[in-house]
Amino acid sequence: MANVAKKVSWSGRDRDDDDEDGRADETTPLLNGTGPGLAAGGRQLTSSSFLRIGQLSNVDLNEDVHELETELPRQYPNEIPHNEKLLSLKYESLDYDNSENQLFLEEERRINHTAFRTVEIKRWVICAMIGIFTGLIACFIDIVVENLAGLKYRVVKGNIDKFTEKGGLSFSLLLWATLNASVVMVGSMIVAFIEPVAAGSGIPQIKCYLNGVKIPHVVRLKTLVIKVCGVILSVVGGLAVGKEGPMIHSGAVIAAGISQGRSTSLKRDFKIFEYFRRDTEKRDFVSAGAAAGVSAAFGAPVGGVLFSLEEGASFWNQFLTWRIFFASMISTFTLNSVLSVYHGNAWDLSSPGLINFGRFDNEKMGYTIQEIPIFIFMGVVGGILGALFNALNYWLTMFRIRYIHRPCLQVVEAMLVAAVTATVGFVMIYCSRDCQPIHGSTVAYPLQLFCADGEYNSMATAFFNTPEKSVVNLFHDPPGSYNPMTLGMFTLMYFFLACWTYGLTVSAGVFIPSLLIGAAWGRLFGISLSYLTKGSIWADPGKYALMGAAAQLGGIVRMTLSLTVIMMEATGNVTYGFPIMLVLMTAKIVGDYFVEGLYDMHIQLQSVPFLHWEAPVTSHSLTAREVMSTPVTCLRRIERVGTVVDILSDTSSNHNGFPVVESNPDATQVAGLRGLILRSQLIVLLKHKVFVERANLSLVQRRLKLKDFRDAYPRFPPIQSIHVSQDERECMIDLSEFMNPSPYTVPQEASLPRVFKLFRALGLRHLVVVDNRNEVVGMVTRKDLARYRLGKEGLEELSLAQT
Amino acid sequence: MAPRPCLLLPLLLALALALGPAAGKARRLLALEALGEAEELAEELWGAGLPGDLPELEPECRRLLAAFAEGSAALTGCLGRRARPVRLCQACHRHYRRLLAQYGSIARAVGNSSESHNCAKSILTSDRLQIVVTLSEFFNETWDAANCANCLKNDSEGLSDSTVEFLDLFNKSLTCFEHNLQGQTIYLSPNNYTEVCKNCNETYKMLNDLYNNLQRMNRQGGESGHSAHLCIDVEDAMNITRKLWSRTFNCSVPCSDTVPVIAVSSFILFLPIVFYLSSFLHSKQKKRILILPKRIQSNASLVNIQEKYS
Repeated sequence: MANVAKKVSWSGRDRDDDDEDGRADETTPLLNGTGPGLAAGGRQLTSSSFLRIGQLSNVDLNEDVHELETELPRQYPNEIPHNEKLLSLKYESLDYDNSENQLFLEEERRINHTAFRTVEIKRWVICAMIGIFTGLIACFIDIVVENLAGLKYRVVKGNIDKFTEKGGLSFSLLLWATLNASVVMVGSMIVAFIEPVAAGSGIPQIKCYLNGVKIPHVVRLKTLVIKVCGVILSVVGGLAVGKEGPMIHSGAVIAAGISQGRSTSLKRDFKIFEYFRRDTEKRDFVSAGAAAGVSAAFGAPVGGVLFSLEEGASFWNQFLTWRIFFASMISTFTLNSVLSVYHGNAWDLSSPGLINFGRFDNEKMGYTIQEIPIFIFMGVVGGILGALFNALNYWLTMFRIRYIHRPCLQVVEAMLVAAVTATVGFVMIYCSRDCQPIHGSTVAYPLQLFCADGEYNSMATAFFNTPEKSVVNLFHDPPGSYNPMTLGMFTLMYFFLACWTYGLTVSAGVFIPSLLIGAAWGRLFGISLSYLTKGSIWADPGKYALMGAAAQLGGIVRMTLSLTVIMMEATGNVTYGFPIMLVLMTAKIVGDYFVEGLYDMHIQLQSVPFLHWEAPVTSHSLTAREVMSTPVTCLRRIERVGTVVDILSDTSSNHNGFPVVESNPDATQVAGLRGLILRSQLIVLLKHKVFVERANLSLVQRRLKLKDFRDAYPRFPPIQSIHVSQDERECMIDLSEFMNPSPYTVPQEASLPRVFKLFRALGLRHLVVVDNRNEVVGMVTRKDLARYRLGKEGLEELSLAQT
Repeated sequence: MAPRPCLLLPLLLALALALGPAAGKARRLLALEALGEAEELAEELWGAGLPGDLPELEPECRRLLAAFAEGSAALTGCLGRRARPVRLCQACHRHYRRLLAQYGSIARAVGNSSESHNCAKSILTSDRLQIVVTLSEFFNETWDAANCANCLKNDSEGLSDSTVEFLDLFNKSLTCFEHNLQGQTIYLSPNNYTEVCKNCNETYKMLNDLYNNLQRMNRQGGESGHSAHLCIDVEDAMNITRKLWSRTFNCSVPCSDTVPVIAVSSFILFLPIVFYLSSFLHSKQKKRILILPKRIQSNASLVNIQEKYS
C-alpha cells in the first residue's frame, strides 16, 4: 500500500512509470478496495480464460474454438538463452496516429486560420532553437574533450620523457593505463548505474524511435546529461571511440525536450508549445534534432538531413525537410561561430564540425579516371573488413548480453578495455623504430622515446592522440610520414580494439574508429601502390586514406546516400562525390553478402520490434487472420469502472489499445466495432473520475479537455497509482466522447504485405481486424508484424520474450 | 606570339599620332623598333644617361628603380651565400630591411611632374610582368617562410636577445665539441666519443632546454597570429647540434627497460582473459522467458516450412 501512495504524482519524477506502464511487478500490490479474490483468482486461471473476464462474451470465436485448445500445454515457463530471434515485450509503439476523438475535433475547430499560422511559426522557432542548442552542446563536448585530453597527454608525455632518460618506463605504462582506466570507470559507472540507455552511439536507439518504437528513457534530459558526460569521459579515457555518433542522440534529446516546452525530470513546465505534446509532432522534431546532431558532428548540414531521411524518418514531407535543413544549418553555424571565437579567430568560421577532414583541394589530391577501379577495389576490401568487424562484434555482443549483464561487471569490463588500449598503444610505440623528424608543430604531442633528438616516434602520432586528430593526420601528413610497417601494425591492433570497444557500457560512437582503421589501411594501400608503380605522381597516400576511411565506414554501418554526402561535405570537395559513392556502394554490396550492418545488427540483438521498409518478400501467403492476436479484450461503449480497472491492472496482458464495441445487452444484436481507446486515455479518465453518475450528480464538474491528456503526456501514471473506491467501481464510464471513433480496420483476408504497408505508412499502433459484420476478431500490433523476418532460409518467425 | 612588325606598324603609328605632343618621339622610337634595334639603343641610352628619350620614366623614378635593383642583387647574393649552414636571418636582415624601404619609397613616391602618372604607377603596374612586384613578393615570402621575424627584435633592428643568447650557447657547444674532439678524427671509430658526451653534456642540455623554452614561448604567443615555427637559423642550428649529438656521437642512449615493460604489459593483457573466463564460468547466463502469443494456431508455421522446401 505504501508503494501505491508514493506513486500518485502526475508528472512527478517517477523512475519506472515509463516502462512499468502496465507491466507492473508481480510484487506490487493491486488496487486497494478491489476485490482481491477476483485478481488473485484470475491469476491462477490460464491466461486465455482470464482474458475473457472483462470482455464481451459474444465476440465471435465460433470457428476458432477448436484451435484454441492447442494453447493449453504451453503453460510451463519456457526459458531460453538470449538469441537474435526474439522480440522483447519491453518495447511499445508510439502513437503516431492522432486519436481523432470529439475533444480533438472540437479543439481543431476552435483553432482558426491565424492560429495555425502561429503554430507554423512556432515550429520554425523550435527548429532554430534545436540547432542552436545542439551546436552549443557540440562545442561544449569539443572544448572539454580537447582540454582534458590535452592535460592527460601532457602528463603522460612528461612522465615518459622523464623515464626515458632514467629508466623505468614500466611506470609510465602503469600511469597511462591507470589514468585511462579510472577515467573510463567514471564514464562507465554513470552509464551503467544511472542511465543504461545512454550506452553506445545512440544511433540504433534513435533509429528505433523514429521507426515508431518507444525505447524507455531514450529522449530524457537525464539521458542527455549522462550521454554528454559519458562521451567526454570515454574519449578522454583513450578508448577507441569517437564523439560524433552520440551527437546524433544528443540532438534528438534536445529536440524532444525543447519541442515539449517542459522538462518532466526537472519538474518545470514553461507553458509553451503545448500544441506539440504528442508523439506525431515530437517525432518530427526528433528527426530534426538527429539531423542537427549529424550536422554539428561532421559539419555536414545536407548530410544531416539525408541521414534523418535514410536512417530515421518513416514519415516525410517537403515542409519537414526544409525545416530540418534549417535546423541543421543553424546547428553547424552555431558550432562554427562559437568554436571560431574559442580558437581566437572570431570571423574566420573555419571549424564547421566536430571533426574536420581538412582541405582536399590541391592538385595532388585530385584523382584521374584510371584510379576509379582501384577505388572500387578498396570498396571491396572495406566491405570484407566491415563484415568481419560486424561478425566479431556480433559474437562479442551476444556474449555480453548473456554473461556480462550485471552493471558492476560492465564497469569492470570497460576499465579493462581502457587499460588494455593504453597498454597496446604503449607497447606498439615502444617497439616501433619508425622515427620521423619534427616538422614544426604539426604533431600535437611528439613522443621522442628512443628516437634521436629532434625526431619523434611515428607510431605515437597514431596511438598517442585523440582518434579525431589521428584521422586528420593520416589524411594530410606528407608522404613518407609513416612507414608501412607502422601502418600495418596500427590497422591490425586498432581494428580489434575498436571491435572490442563497441558495445561496452560507455557512451561512444563507432564513426571515428572506423574512419581511423580505414584511413590507416587506405594509406598503407596508397604507399604500396606508389611502390608498385615506382612512385607515380598520382599515388598520394592521403587520397587513398580518405577512400579507405569511406570504405571501412561504409562496410561497417552500411549507410549509403547520407554517408556519401557527409563525407563529401566533410572533405569540402564535390568532385570526390563520385569515387566516394562508388566506394560506399561496393562496400555495402560486398558487406551485405556476409552480414548486415552494425546498427541493424544491434537493433536485432536488442530484440526491438523494428519494421523495415517493406514486408518480407515471401510473406504474401500470410493473411491478417494468421498474423493477428486473438481474442481481443474489448470494452463496451458505456463500461463499468470496475471492469476497466481490472483489465488495466491485469499484469499478464499489458494491452495498450482496446476496441470499443456497442454496449448492447441484447445478445441477438451484433456488437460492432465503434472505436478504439488507449490505455493512457483510460487512465486519464479514471484519474479525473469522469463517471456517468458523477456527471449527473454535480453539473458544475469541469468538462475534460484535450489539455488534460496532454499534461499527462508522455509519462502516464501506472494504474496502480490510481485510487478507485468500492463504490466507484460500480459506476459507469462513457467512452464515446474519448475514443477514436474511426480506427483503421482490415478484413481477415488482407495479406500481410497489405497490412504491413498500412501499418508502416500511417505509423499505426493498433490495427483492428474485423469480420464482415464489423465484429472485432483480432488485433494487429507492431510485434505481430515485426516477428516475420527474412532469414537465411526464407521466412522466419521470431518469438516474444520477457527481457 | 610576337606580332609581325608590318602589321603592327600602321596601328602603332595611328596611336602615336593620337597621343599628340609625345608623338614625334614615339614615332621615332617605333621606327627604331621596327628596325629591330630598339634594344641596343635603349641600352645605349641608359648607359649614356640621356633622359629625354625614355618618356615613361622620370629621373627620380629611374633612380629609385636602380636602387631597388642593387638592393635586390645584394639580398639575393646574401641569401645564396648563407644558404648552408643557414644564417639567413642573422646575415641578411639589413639587406632585407633596406630593400623593404626601397620598395616602400617606390610605392609611395609621387613623381614631381604634374601629370597623373607617378613612379609607383609607372614602375609597378604599367606592364604585364610587373617584375618589381614579383621580386618583392618573392623576398617577402622567403622571409616569412624562414620566419625570420621571430628572431629579430620587434622593430627588426638586429637580433632579439633570446636569439643572441641561443647563438652564444650554440657556439659554445660547438667549441666544446671541437675542443674535445682534438686529437681524434671524426671518422676514427663510432664508440670513442664518450669524452665528448661526458664533457659537453651540460652545454648541450642547456642548449636543448633553451631551445625547448623558446619553442614553448613561441607557441604560447602563437595564438596571436604568429606561426608556431622558430626562425630558420635557430631551428637549423639546433638540428645540426642534435644530429651531431645523437647520430654522430651517439651520446643520447636511453635506458631501455624491456623486461619490466613486458612484464607489466603482459599482466594487463592477461586480465581480460581472466575476466571473461571467470564471467563465463561463474556468471549465471541470462535466460529469456518466452511469452506465448494469443493467436489462432493456423498453418502459419506450416507455410514457412513449406516455403523452405519449395
